Amino acid sequence: MTGTEVVFWLAAVTAVLSALATITRRNPVVAAVCLVASFFAVAVVYVLLSATFLAAIQVLVYAGAIMVLFVFVVMVLDKDDSGEIRHAGPTRISRYGYNGAWMLLVGFLAWVLLGTWSRQYVTPGSSLDAQPDFGSAQSVGRELFYRYVFAFEAVSLLLLAAVIGAVVVARSRRERDDDASGLNARQRARNDAGLSAKGV
Amino acid sequence: MVPITHFLYLAGILFLIGVVGVLARRNVLIVLMSIEIMLNAANLVLVAFSRAWGNLEGQVLVFLTIAIAAAEAAVGLAIVVSLFRARTGTDIDDLTVLRD
Repeated sequence: MTGTEVVFWLAAVTAVLSALATITRRNPVVAAVCLVASFFAVAVVYVLLSATFLAAIQVLVYAGAIMVLFVFVVMVLDKDDSGEIRHAGPTRISRYGYNGAWMLLVGFLAWVLLGTWSRQYVTPGSSLDAQPDFGSAQSVGRELFYRYVFAFEAVSLLLLAAVIGAVVVARSRRERDDDASGLNARQRARNDAGLSAKGV
Repeated sequence: MVPITHFLYLAGILFLIGVVGVLARRNVLIVLMSIEIMLNAANLVLVAFSRAWGNLEGQVLVFLTIAIAAAEAAVGLAIVVSLFRARTGTDIDDLTVLRD
């Protein structure tokens, strides 16, 4: 087996096993950590396909942003699969955090090592020879900002709409009622700004 | 030398795992994670064909898909938080407000 095949099989088995673990775990925090392991493995496969820029984006956006979003929501909800509210003590949360941090660290190290290693042995999965800068940030960016600039701007608008929509949807009913009736709105604004009602 | 079919098989297996997660799990958070797995499998197919044809447009498409997946996760999790606030819980079998 060549180096590329070894890296591919390692990454593929890791991706499939951690994806299976994601959909079988009861605890959503453990599932989220397994999901990140799957994303890391897919990023390694991206490097094998000489899409280095996308591999970096994958780790940044999926393992960084989306994973943090999931973990924060799980922590806020603090419910397990059976729907019962868990009174998780600090020891429990810290144990998950400890294990999760270890898995993240190992995953990141494996990603960096496999990425650099596969770059040396890269024999791409096609008969075509890629240009040296195929999949680099420069070449993808050139394509993105010349031919697909409209789609790029449209996606930025979509992200703005999604952020506003998320904030509106996730507000509590009390906040919405307060804003709708106009009652206490100024009071709340003052409290949010850290000004006491008596002082102003 | 890894043939392109291997990447397609991997993407197919990942997509299948995502489908099973959506259909079989009742926790809405796990369902959202399964959707992310399916998006990831689709991205993998796009990158594999982009490499096979030596065409960067597939990678541009994956870039846009990742941005849209981030937006989808943000809105989906906001809906989960909103559901939890309405005391419905995170079990998708309980979400029958629109049907009833």
